[in-house]
Amino acid sequence: MSDLDRAIAQLRACRPIPEAQVRELCHKARELLIEEGNVVTVTAPVTICGDIHGQFHDLMELFRVGGDVPDTNYLFMGDFVDRGFYSLESFLLLLCLKVRYPDRMTLIRGNHESRQITTVYGFYDECLRKYGSANVWRYCCEVFDYLALGAIVLGASSTLEPSKQKVTASSNSLTSTQEFLDPDIEIEVLSSDGGIVKRFPRQKTVKTVGGAKSSSPAKTGAPGTGASGSSGGSVGNPGGAVLCVHGGLSPLIDTVDKIRLLDRKQEVPHEGAMCDLLWSDPDEIDGWGLSPRGAGFLFGADIVKVFNHANDLSLIARAHQLVMEGFKEMFDASIVTVWSAPNYCYRCGNVAAILELGEDGSGEGIISRSNGEVNRSDGGMAGLLKEKEKVLLSGPARRYRVFQAAPQDSRGMPAKKPVADYFL
Amino acid sequence: MAAPHIPNLLCLRGGPRSRGGRGRGRGPSAADPDHEAPGGSARNRKDLNIQSTDTDAAVSRLSAVSLGYLHDPYASFFVSGTGTRRLPIINRGTYTRTTALDILINAFLTHNKGDQPQTKQIISLGAGTDTRYFRLRSQDKHHNLIYHEFDFPTVSETKRRTVLGNPLLSKLNQNEAVFPDPRNPPPDQAVEWGFMQSKDALSEITYCCHPLDLRQLPQSQASQPIRGLRTDLPTLIISECCLCYLEVDISRDVVKWFADRFPSLGIILYEPIGVDDSFGQMMVANLAARGITMPSLQAYKTLSDQTNRLEQLGFKDDGGQEADTVERIWEQWIPASEKERVDGLEGLDEVEEWQMLARHYAVVWGWRGKVGWHGWGGLRKTPPAAYTCIK
Repeated sequence: MSDLDRAIAQLRACRPIPEAQVRELCHKARELLIEEGNVVTVTAPVTICGDIHGQFHDLMELFRVGGDVPDTNYLFMGDFVDRGFYSLESFLLLLCLKVRYPDRMTLIRGNHESRQITTVYGFYDECLRKYGSANVWRYCCEVFDYLALGAIVLGASSTLEPSKQKVTASSNSLTSTQEFLDPDIEIEVLSSDGGIVKRFPRQKTVKTVGGAKSSSPAKTGAPGTGASGSSGGSVGNPGGAVLCVHGGLSPLIDTVDKIRLLDRKQEVPHEGAMCDLLWSDPDEIDGWGLSPRGAGFLFGADIVKVFNHANDLSLIARAHQLVMEGFKEMFDASIVTVWSAPNYCYRCGNVAAILELGEDGSGEGIISRSNGEVNRSDGGMAGLLKEKEKVLLSGPARRYRVFQAAPQDSRGMPAKKPVADYFL
Repeated sequence: MAAPHIPNLLCLRGGPRSRGGRGRGRGPSAADPDHEAPGGSARNRKDLNIQSTDTDAAVSRLSAVSLGYLHDPYASFFVSGTGTRRLPIINRGTYTRTTALDILINAFLTHNKGDQPQTKQIISLGAGTDTRYFRLRSQDKHHNLIYHEFDFPTVSETKRRTVLGNPLLSKLNQNEAVFPDPRNPPPDQAVEWGFMQSKDALSEITYCCHPLDLRQLPQSQASQPIRGLRTDLPTLIISECCLCYLEVDISRDVVKWFADRFPSLGIILYEPIGVDDSFGQMMVANLAARGITMPSLQAYKTLSDQTNRLEQLGFKDDGGQEADTVERIWEQWIPASEKERVDGLEGLDEVEEWQMLARHYAVVWGWRGKVGWHGWGGLRKTPPAAYTCIK
């Protein structure tokens, strides 16, 4: 058993690893992350997760429900730390898994992965409490600076594969009908035991009005690059790409390529594109609005639609906002919020969700690309806009698994009795 | 894609479980708050749990003060140690709650220019370590004011020792004195204490702490008058998370006890509401885990339940009743410049959580009688424009 595997085992038991090991781990992680572009390319299948916030026991519940690493590929959209009691164990475990299985784990940066925020919201105090010094906090913050700002998921299927999880152990008939899943199902919501909560068929009135369906062969570039000579999605990949980012869009960013141009290796600034990507929220407004958070912006449906269009995206997946049902699709399913911290702060009473995107079975959809390439195309955008306005890419098939908070005082892990603050 | 080797903890929930298996390493009293602890009754334990909420409030107040949300030079005297830094949403909530009460109380205490100053009276129920009276003194608002506090005898006694042992808290004017005389400490700890003022050879109580279990108030008869209480003055009752811990009928009887005696009466309630959603249910469960129950939560679920409650207690004819959530008070009562100042102290990232938390707390106020309540009606519709930050 390697040191790394030993560290993983120790962290899985929710026990911190020694400071020297943290230092080494963070060093390795930085070497790995420095090679990643600002926008990591990930191919489906992948399970997309939202905020964790140090709720270690619930992170283990997430792995139980979504499948363990490396059997399941994961993309965590940031906010690993702060608020919960186990930020340290949660982040270090995810980081260990990233170092151990770099291609199966994607971690992107949330607004809490910042020196300033962690000193207010708990991670700094937790490190001080658990190690007696701020060294570990400092090592972790150095890793934060290297985390990618976003990810593009390619090759997501537009139909749902049957869930590999049994519905119930006893009901064979139900399990077998899953083998013949209706190809028209676009969204499936499952409970933590795999039972079907809801299914939504794809709307028959196809959103691609412009007639450029999957048959169009003219696509030249990969989705998410803005490199297409025409719109309408690539062959075999009618779903378009999915952009994953912690917060949302920025008025300074109109193409994914512009994200690739940023210098990300720094503390999260108070303003500017990098700040916005980590802080902004979608809202029922037109255009851009001021954010009540004091950083980032609010953006409306029109902004999302234009952006998705210009970048051949079918969906933006983001986290950042507590949603009581675990996930929330907005703006004709052009953007979704995924929230993965159940009973947030041991107080909010919400459920959590993860989003599974299946692999496109046709085998034609995946276009490999390297990170960091910029300016693949920005010419002719203005001329294209008119034509593009007619077309909205249909989203990939989405399976949400919804789960609840895990009890704290079991699983043989150290557990602090959760005390939620109220006004008393 | 499930990971079957990770045990499903949720299946441990709900079903039969051995009582011994729960709460490893903890005593049975920790796992079951109602369990009779050796040497103390369940009721005693519940009372102690409720008294412990005052420590929460004091620590939260000190946190908000240390970070600059509120100005209160006395907050640190009532917290042992250096205190704990609360999260920004808690600090903002403490700020909003305190400011809302400041606004209502200042409106009550304000005189119309040129009018003869009218002496007024405030009765703070379950005051605990509240510093409001001392803050009013420091703002020179204690003239023409009689201030009463009611709390458990042990709480009252602790406060007496803190106040008398602290020169800043017990610094009095020449014509003021502490009672009972600190040089002859009373043998019985359950004794009223406070400050008196002598004027024209008459002495008058200006501040009085009553060591009294409020639940006994409705039974107390006219034969045992409450020291220094004057039924002829415009009187304001404050219940900052106090009546909510009493059984609904007892809390009603407590307010009725005052309503039957005071012709000019106002009341401010601050307590949680909204028990029916998942946040509210989690609140009930979390409080129950601390051995705390709030009967008011089940009886008064909405703002209109709360205003109906006051209406039924007689705050209607010659008066009225209003209510607002802390969320809305933050939005509507606090001027933009002050909001900007407060937001700038720490930054508040958790907007959704703030809204949810703040939606679950209500400030409810009702009044009856002619004097002292002119600023109270319509406060909800027209938030105080001339609000100045309480420094």
